Amino acid sequence: MNEEYDAIVLGTGLKECILSGMLSVSGKKVLHIDRNKYYGGESASITPLEELFQRFNVESPGEKYGRGRDWNVDLIPKFLMANGQLVKLLIHTGVTRYLEFKSIEGSYVYKGGKIAKVPVDQKEALASDLMGMFEKRRFRNFLVYVQDFKEDDPKTWKDFDPSKSNMQALYDKFGLDKNTQDFTGHALALFRDDEYLNEPAANTIRRIKLYSDSLARYGKSPYLYPMYGLGELPQGFARLSAIYGGTYMLDKPIDEIVLGEGGKVVGVRSGDEVAKCKQIYCDPSYVPDRVRKKGKVIRCICILDHPVANTKDALSTQIIIPQKQVGRKSDIYVSLVSYTHQVAAKGWFVGMVSTTVESDQPENEIKPGLDLLEPIAQKFITISDYLEPIDNGIDSQIFISESYDATTHFETTCLDVLDIFKRGTGEDFDFSKIKHELGDEDQ
Amino acid sequence: MATVRIPKQKVILCGDYGVGKSSLFRRFTNNTFVTDTDRKSTLGLDHIDRDYTVGDKQIKLQLWDTGGMERVASVTSSYYKFAEGAILVFAMDNAASFHSLSQHLLDIVTYAENAKIFICGNKSDLAEREPQVSDAEVEAFCEQCHSLISATYKTSCKTSDGVEEMFRDISRILVDANRSKMELQALEQHSFKIDSAAEADTNEESSQCIC
Repeated sequence: MNEEYDAIVLGTGLKECILSGMLSVSGKKVLHIDRNKYYGGESASITPLEELFQRFNVESPGEKYGRGRDWNVDLIPKFLMANGQLVKLLIHTGVTRYLEFKSIEGSYVYKGGKIAKVPVDQKEALASDLMGMFEKRRFRNFLVYVQDFKEDDPKTWKDFDPSKSNMQALYDKFGLDKNTQDFTGHALALFRDDEYLNEPAANTIRRIKLYSDSLARYGKSPYLYPMYGLGELPQGFARLSAIYGGTYMLDKPIDEIVLGEGGKVVGVRSGDEVAKCKQIYCDPSYVPDRVRKKGKVIRCICILDHPVANTKDALSTQIIIPQKQVGRKSDIYVSLVSYTHQVAAKGWFVGMVSTTVESDQPENEIKPGLDLLEPIAQKFITISDYLEPIDNGIDSQIFISESYDATTHFETTCLDVLDIFKRGTGEDFDFSKIKHELGDEDQ
Repeated sequence: MATVRIPKQKVILCGDYGVGKSSLFRRFTNNTFVTDTDRKSTLGLDHIDRDYTVGDKQIKLQLWDTGGMERVASVTSSYYKFAEGAILVFAMDNAASFHSLSQHLLDIVTYAENAKIFICGNKSDLAEREPQVSDAEVEAFCEQCHSLISATYKTSCKTSDGVEEMFRDISRILVDANRSKMELQALEQHSFKIDSAAEADTNEESSQCIC
């Protein structure tokens, strides 16, 4: 440990592992430390099942749920958008070769106490029971507009300036009613609240395109999920970092972040060992005095022995409950994965309900989500602070990631990673340089 | 599965730091040997494919190296996933590396329960005069593990003795083991790898492995 490194990364959560991998690949000498004995931190998938029960101080279930080590239960539920940033990062770095994926079978949205399939193309729009006859046609026209829309070709904008006019104006242009706006903004564009309505429409159009492009890639739904759980993702990036010379230390407590002149980091101390470095990348738990609380997220892990009702017995599902449907300011997300992803014993399912906390009774807030999953064999609830760094880290050279938010996909995770990478290295991470040979070498 | 593809088998190297896993990897990759562990020569390389012919069957052996993660931390559990074979490596001049095999074995049966397990005593050239690990001890270990160990080998990466023979034999055993399994697997729905080349491939059976 007593060496000098370009960068020391603290914590092996997904964000830190991606950063560690990107830094090692770009030739930096990296030391990656975790205080836990296992990889993944908050992004780990807990195995065996007994471990999960222990974590929540619940008595061990015995044989009830099959073999314990067939379970890999995520603490933070998320899916990958098939055409999203994380998939691009996986391809760029070659980490995709360590993982196998399955498509999530269904994508649903909640309306008036029931769930309905999220319509994404013209055919589905016309068949959907989310809208009345005339509304369907208006929605179809809207989808066609979005599909044909090209940001660099003003002719496709059709007398509408998406960089100046806001999204509400675009909805009004097509005469879409509040209900349609609701599922478009929350289930297609995946916004967490309604602030997007007052922002330029271009961003929303981009996000709807991401949804439909992702859907076009593997069918069924725009979401992917890795076999053996999300914990495989940080491990894949950790391996990448190691392969490129990164050094790993687990079960190593960090006692002090050593600062030098002008408050700039010069190393970390563990016991009487000091590792020197020019930069630190870490999650909020390693620097409690450099982060502030932005809000709270509630997540409920549910063990079930059945699929969600009215999803055609899908073995994996995402359901979005738009805020307005249940009188809230932020959406509730419900996700379901199962034994088919090697995250549960045969015949079992893992459901998750999560949202941003808005009241002092968060458990009541997720009730509409839990109702969809009933009957539930076992529940585990966590309420965690959503932390963000108090500064951009340039002065101290300590770059801190934000906590994982309530969204059920990795787009915001990647934006944070790319932003940290840019602050730390002074360079943008260039997606256009995706290394195609990485995909080819397996052939 | 209409296309005829050579079945690929992931085989992982396991064992203590310094027993010669990367040397075996290097022999497998380009049949070279470097005395001082010069990590740079495998930097950025983590697995390599080679084809073997067993009777009328072809098999692609994909050998994976640990990337040195075991030096101070543990190897990620994802390293073991999807492995069809695992080679437990110890150094014949280092009794401690033999005694820790049981720990590595435990990891393998935990994370890659279907993998065929092999034992490889490496550095046989150094152990010629005074072997620190006797054949009887290896035999006794295999007995303790009941039928978990498929075969044992002795190799020297320095002289290349036994290395090629080992990989050939492992290929043979994997082909035998997989004959029936592959037919079974073809019936199941597969997961897939994300691949930039397969982009926009609207093949309806996209759930197949497209790696």
